[in-house]
Amino acid sequence: MIAQNEPAVVTVTQTSYSSTDSVVPPATKTKEGSAPQKAAAKTGADNQGGDKELKMMAKAANEFALKQLAPNREENDKYPFGPYFADVVQKAFELDFFHIMLPEALNGMNLGISALSTVLESICREDSSLGGIIFTTVAAQEILRQAGADPALQRICDSQKAREFLIGLPVFNNPGEVRHLAQARWAAGQCTLSGRIEYMVLGGTAKQALVPVQTPGAAGFSYALVNMEEKGVRKSEPILSLGLHACPAVDVDFDGAKALPIGQEGQGGFYFDKMADRMHAAAAAMSVGQMKGSFREALDYAKKREQGGHAIINWSEVKMILANMAIKITNAEMILEKACQAADAQTPRWEAQSRAAALMIQEMACDVTTDGIQVLGGVGYMKDFGQEKRFRDAKHTQALLGIAPAKKIKFMNEML
Amino acid sequence: MITSSEIKTLCAQAPDFDDIACGLNATKKAPKGMVAETRKVVAIARKFKQEVMQPYTLELDRRMQQDPEHLPWEFVQKANQWGFYSMWIPKSFGGQGYNIPSLSYFLEETASECLALANLIGVHYLAITSIFSTWNIGVISRLCGFVREGEKNNKPCLLSTAITEPNAGTDVEECELVDKGNITCIATKVSGGYVINGTKVFISNGHVSQWHIVIAYADARKPSENVVILAVQNGTRGFSFGRKEHKMGVKGCPASELIFKECFVPDDLVLADPEQHRKAKRAAKETGARFLDYTLAASRAGVSAFGTGAARGAYESALAFALKTEVDGKLLVNHEWAQSMLAEMYKNAALARLSYAEANHANGMYGLFSLLQIKPLYYYFKYLPMAIVDKWIVPFMRLPVATWLFQKLYLDGKKPEAFRRIAGWGSLAKFTGTDAGVKNCHMAVELMGQAGLRQDHKVEKMLRDAKLLQIYEGTNQLNRLNLFKCIAAGQHPQVKVFEYE
Ligand SMILES: Cc1cc2nc3c(=O)[nH]c(=O)nc-3n(C[C@H](O)[C@H](O)[C@H](O)COP(=O)(O)OP(=O)(O)OC[C@H]3O[C@@H](n4cnc5c(N)ncnc54)[C@H](O)[C@@H]3O)c2cc1C
Repeated sequence: MIAQNEPAVVTVTQTSYSSTDSVVPPATKTKEGSAPQKAAAKTGADNQGGDKELKMMAKAANEFALKQLAPNREENDKYPFGPYFADVVQKAFELDFFHIMLPEALNGMNLGISALSTVLESICREDSSLGGIIFTTVAAQEILRQAGADPALQRICDSQKAREFLIGLPVFNNPGEVRHLAQARWAAGQCTLSGRIEYMVLGGTAKQALVPVQTPGAAGFSYALVNMEEKGVRKSEPILSLGLHACPAVDVDFDGAKALPIGQEGQGGFYFDKMADRMHAAAAAMSVGQMKGSFREALDYAKKREQGGHAIINWSEVKMILANMAIKITNAEMILEKACQAADAQTPRWEAQSRAAALMIQEMACDVTTDGIQVLGGVGYMKDFGQEKRFRDAKHTQALLGIAPAKKIKFMNEML
Repeated sequence: MITSSEIKTLCAQAPDFDDIACGLNATKKAPKGMVAETRKVVAIARKFKQEVMQPYTLELDRRMQQDPEHLPWEFVQKANQWGFYSMWIPKSFGGQGYNIPSLSYFLEETASECLALANLIGVHYLAITSIFSTWNIGVISRLCGFVREGEKNNKPCLLSTAITEPNAGTDVEECELVDKGNITCIATKVSGGYVINGTKVFISNGHVSQWHIVIAYADARKPSENVVILAVQNGTRGFSFGRKEHKMGVKGCPASELIFKECFVPDDLVLADPEQHRKAKRAAKETGARFLDYTLAASRAGVSAFGTGAARGAYESALAFALKTEVDGKLLVNHEWAQSMLAEMYKNAALARLSYAEANHANGMYGLFSLLQIKPLYYYFKYLPMAIVDKWIVPFMRLPVATWLFQKLYLDGKKPEAFRRIAGWGSLAKFTGTDAGVKNCHMAVELMGQAGLRQDHKVEKMLRDAKLLQIYEGTNQLNRLNLFKCIAAGQHPQVKVFEYE
């Protein structure tokens, strides 16, 4: 529980989430026949293999976080006023952190959300910016797969460089909720983009981006994949933001940029929701990582710092703050594990469990990281420690996939 | 039905009527002119906010992220030109003499735009408050004179307050803890003055101040009985600036390290020391506690106003966003859940405001500025021409008799009840206002989703800024404990505070 530097392991069920499973929009697809469910019924032997692989991933992620992320946290956080940590992203790419959920046919590891969560949790204990980059790219991969855009994804997955592999996505907005959409003339094989997309995450660093677009022919929005170096794409300077500084976003203006239509016209909302069902659990894992990092630093400090002639951990008011943090984290761990298992095994109502886990855990993370600063007093507010960054990152993470209270209303709507 | 002695007895029962009705007691005594004056202050603050702050807030925050060593002299100059550094110094000390509670409204207004800029003005008054707590009228009068001169010559003269030490933060905010703390900033008595050795950290406005009000100790073994308060000017031999902290927020207001190495301070810049108060009838510890209570009761109301400003700024930004953003096909502001969230935010700001207002009422009745709110004195100073003040009052204030008189009134003449009441309200207001500020900033960022994450939409900055408020002027934990000390420790013998378990 609340391990110090142990790898985070979320119990895994390996899935064979094949690219052809989810391409059909709701009208023509039933839940029962989905391959993920079949995957969930895989034998225990397979699962043991998955557990082993998962443990290795967890170890790799943990070592990576401690060696590559922790020492340069303050430096990397200076972006856009300091250099971008492209070399670290490349190393993470080489360790396959971006390939976790991709099927083998796409050079992937074919693991489930539990594996992704394990990696994200370890990374976000130290520096959530890389977590945000992984999250964004995997969310875009998921949308492409839901939309049956495997050939496009295949081309991306053939790249050997992280920058070419990354995919931009406005991952802090649900385009179905707040309709920040570019305009597109939709045609088979190619479309032309105009208008503006705000806060395109990785828009300035990834070679391509997935753009939510409004087309004249459909009420719902659609997706188009655009090469960000294409003519007609104008990017702003990196946006200065609350947290995840090294997971940068830009505003993008399109003026006649050519793009690839993704999936069916007007079905973007369906693809987004399908992606979000799974990725909510991954977002929750980021928050758990932030909480654990915050708690660890607070506990270490409270044992060393003396006030009133005693280590502050021994003032029961401080102990109470730490206790509340630990209780939240312990609960968050349990909730996350259950949500990941449910998502991978596709047990009934797994989508609701994944979303509920994220909503609850993200709130907890905002509380825990606020307290995490408080335990350190004045130094908690300073860049010299990791607490202020975790506080910003936790709040930032809460906005993944849309406005937090609107996500709650959506959750309720789904139940009705 | 009830006799007057019954009324007296029953109202003295807990909660004492005078504890819960500071505002009610104060309004009947307060000069009416204070209201018009406070309206004027709010209007000035709004004008300043619109003309000076709004075009500058985000630019400064961005600049500070790019270059954390930058110092916002351009803003300090502007505030000085607007007269804000002498506006709340009493006329008898050469200031403009605006009523002190109106400072809180000013701080709320300016903080609702930018906490860093509001701090660049407000923190100066923390120092003004701390010098007044000593009632060493001669030194106070000199220091205030420098501020006024700085205003006339367009050379801003700000004061900072330095209490916190590397190993003692909470400990130096509470006289029950300070003797157990690891105190290292020592002022040693020498012929003609004191020599300071040690370091102070996190001192707001340090790098932009000309004078630093240093709270040091003559004896590290019993700091509570050996408080020495000194004024140190930039350029004094043995004094230097150390690092400037790199903070999460409030970036425009520097937090500075002050280093003292064999720094000699002459007697005429010593505001308080154990020798001055040796003759007093109370214990030496009690004098130190009174300085602290006077200062913190007033300054914590100011920090509460900062929190209220943050809470209000967050509400206003969230409302502006909700008025123009469609969510799920209709304006966000027309979703019932959003209306409820916005109402909650409004309520948080309103209750925070009430808390600082009540703390100010307590201070006006029993605290630092009670004399200034006595009607005849208030009007006398309000309408007295500055030339007369300069000719007669200011020189009088520099005479030893003035110090004797005010110390009799304020240090000897006040009952423990008064200190308990002002200190309790100061703490209550501090954590109420600042918790409200942080809460509302969280809510605003939540409500605005993606837009709330961007620095150019301001609320993310407000959240970064607001978090500081729960830490300085004593952490909110310390303030809760102090409130409990004030409301319960004297009344129930079994209550023990700050006792190690
Ligand atoms: C940006 C900034 C500006 C500041 N400006 C000024 C300034 O202008 N002048 C100045 O003098 N100081 C200033 N401070 C210092 C500030 O007042 C201290 O940071 C604050 O009092 C807390 O002290 P600390 O940081 O040493 O934390 P610590 O005292 O080390 O506290 C750490 C944690 O332990 C808790 N704790 C400690 N002791 C106890 C106890 N006995 N019981 C229960 N809990 C306890 C605290 O609540 C906190 O959660 C500033 C600080 C910051 C960050």
